[in-house]
Amino acid sequence: MADIEFLDTSSEPRGDTLYHPVTVGYETKVATQGVSVRYGEKVALKDVTMDIPSRAVTACIGPSGCGKSTFLRAINRMNDTIDNAQVSGSVLIDGEEVNDRSVDPVVLRARVGMVFQKPNPFPKTIYENVAYGPKIHGLAGDRDQLDGIVETSLKKAGLWDEVADRLTHPGTSLSGGQQQRLVIARAIAVNPEVILMDEPCSALDPIATARIEELIDELRENYTLIIVTHSMAQAARVSQMTAFFHLGALVEYGPTEEIFTNPRDQRTQDYITGRFG
Amino acid sequence: MQITVIVALALLVLTAIGFLVGRRRATRVASGQPSALHSLPSYYGYYIAIWTGLPALTLLFAYGSFGSSLVNILTMGELEREAAPLIRAYEADLSESPDYQTLNEALGQIETEIEATRNALEQARQARGPVDGYQRDLGELTLDRNDVSDAIENLREQIAFAVAARAPDSVAGHRARAGFEYWRARPDRRDLFIADARAIAFQEGFPSRVTPTLNAAGAAMVPWESLFRWSFAGAALALAVGGLTWARGQVSAGFRARNRVEGVISIVLFATSVIAILTTLGIVLSLVFESIRFFAAIEWRIHEFLFGLQWSPQIGIRADQVGQTGAFGAVPLFAGTALITVIAMCVAVPVGLFSAIYLSEYASPKFRSVAKPVLEILAGVPTVVYGFFALLTVGPFLREFAIFLGYEDAVTQSALSAGLVMGVMIIPFVSSLSDDVINAVPQSLRDGAYAMGATKSEAVRQVVLPAALPGIVGAILLAVSRAIGETMIVVMAAGPGANLTANPLESVTTITVQIVMLITGDQEFSSAKTLSAFALALVLFTLTLLLNIVALRVVERFRERYE
Repeated sequence: MADIEFLDTSSEPRGDTLYHPVTVGYETKVATQGVSVRYGEKVALKDVTMDIPSRAVTACIGPSGCGKSTFLRAINRMNDTIDNAQVSGSVLIDGEEVNDRSVDPVVLRARVGMVFQKPNPFPKTIYENVAYGPKIHGLAGDRDQLDGIVETSLKKAGLWDEVADRLTHPGTSLSGGQQQRLVIARAIAVNPEVILMDEPCSALDPIATARIEELIDELRENYTLIIVTHSMAQAARVSQMTAFFHLGALVEYGPTEEIFTNPRDQRTQDYITGRFG
Repeated sequence: MQITVIVALALLVLTAIGFLVGRRRATRVASGQPSALHSLPSYYGYYIAIWTGLPALTLLFAYGSFGSSLVNILTMGELEREAAPLIRAYEADLSESPDYQTLNEALGQIETEIEATRNALEQARQARGPVDGYQRDLGELTLDRNDVSDAIENLREQIAFAVAARAPDSVAGHRARAGFEYWRARPDRRDLFIADARAIAFQEGFPSRVTPTLNAAGAAMVPWESLFRWSFAGAALALAVGGLTWARGQVSAGFRARNRVEGVISIVLFATSVIAILTTLGIVLSLVFESIRFFAAIEWRIHEFLFGLQWSPQIGIRADQVGQTGAFGAVPLFAGTALITVIAMCVAVPVGLFSAIYLSEYASPKFRSVAKPVLEILAGVPTVVYGFFALLTVGPFLREFAIFLGYEDAVTQSALSAGLVMGVMIIPFVSSLSDDVINAVPQSLRDGAYAMGATKSEAVRQVVLPAALPGIVGAILLAVSRAIGETMIVVMAAGPGANLTANPLESVTTITVQIVMLITGDQEFSSAKTLSAFALALVLFTLTLLLNIVALRVVERFRERYE
């Protein structure tokens, strides 16, 4: 991490197979340069360089253990919480280095929200779950402001109508799909710029999944979303850009349509047609 | 006894033979094709072995448990029947004796006077008038009553002696006398009589005395004993052989030996768990019955026991002493127990909980691998060692310190020293249980908190601990129930004085300490003083049982939520 190169995000596309987001009509929000992650001896992510567009959904696909979740965790420095994880390379959000010593991961994570595979509402009321972020970051001046944030966040997450009359119930009393939307509302409440989603629908039934996908599409207007998914169909439905990871390396990255209709790499072709993985 | 051992060994041999027979038989039935059998050949062996051994051994076990009491009952019944003429003569002589009638009338009069004086005393007490005179009267009357009772008892003894002397000096006469003596004896003397007779007849230990009547009773037992011994031994062997033959006849290719054996295994397992439950039940029942005896001894003033403020069970030294029942107000003990428990929890909960949080959330794996075993060593220190520590190190230190601070009345055996050391003893208990619950909180919750931008302590305080709270509460409740039941530390470090105080620097006593004081040493198990230990034990048991039930329920609810 000693030599951090600051990238010129306005330059031409980098790498042969990589599309620069600008070429498909978006601004770059997150840019990574040679990001590698090791857990002890095991290399989980090798030299990933990609530019992620703003106000769009970028899907990361690939077989299990290909490093896509690790890549996600590199963006908000969640790998710091794992004892033996070592991260090298550079991650820029709006041109600002994330891995810099001066960056407080606590502040960074307020800017980059995250939603996990299994809904993980805190052992608190629905209200307190959503109010948690604004409270610890001091975003609300008084109770009214906090009420406002909670209501807006729940509305944005499409959950307000279902829980408005039972905000004091425990978050765990909701159904799986509602819990996942509650968790999304919780992430939105601190007004992040980027939202990372690690297989957000894998624990949900098809109806709840459809509801979350709709929500992702709505959120695209205001946020940069990066979503890891095992479902090719989901990636095709919700994302504008798709990145295919294999064995810890980024194999191919481009507009979703292009990846799914005209992949350049044989491995991508094999994966999306279901020949392995 | 030897014959029973030989039969038991024979049964084991038969069982082994049964196994071999069954296996051989199965192989033969299958005519060399084991696949034609429903079960593996050894299952047929097990099946026959079970039928050979189990019923016979059960019979033998039943004989071992109840055989001798059966012999005792039959023998003594026989002897009492033979003593019938003596008993009749004794009763006739008693009713004809003029002295006996006079004495009984006198006793009745004194009882009436005692009752009257007692009522007057009670009234005077309620009116808060002078009571000394009544108490003196009551004391004198009690002495009189005891004298008359003794006289009656002497008279009975004389008449009984005279009646017994009339029996002929033959074997039949001694047997009748034995039955007569047994009939007249009080229950505890009866037990002693039987024990002595058995000791003489079967060399079971040493008799406390040897008399012609005991010899006769012992001799009367011998035929019954040998009859039962031989018939049970024979029956057990017959049962074994019969079982073997019958089960062998059952064996065929389609016979489901495997399922049958499975069934027997589940029955045996069920029986063992029933034994465990019944043992617990037996302990509880013995506590309950002894407590009932105690409450009867204090004339059912249960409220006085539970809410009385004075505990001095040792008052009654002589049986004729006024107020010989002592004062059984257990509140000072409950208060002392509560005080020491609170002090112990004040030490154990913060230290245990914080160390659990540190170990599970902050510590490096290397530190954890050292610190956890060390904490567990603390749990392995015998409580008597903690007792030394409290008495010889912590107690004197606290006393010096209190005196230094200007509290001149400080004592070595204080609630504080016992509580502090007990707290140290409970630390590993709290920390290891809490550590388990904290580790059971899913990682996804921590990740969620970190992803929201929480710091480590925020995540622990606001997310992990609330999630683990029910489990931690359960752990603390279990620790409390342990503190309440802990004995050795408080016996050594808290002292025996039943002071009702909230001052931790004074000496207090606990339920467990009092139980130890009341039961240890030479005690007769009929005085209210000794019996009160059982009532205390019942309270203790109820208390810890309730705490354990609540704690387990709380922990269970936690488990349901996250696993």
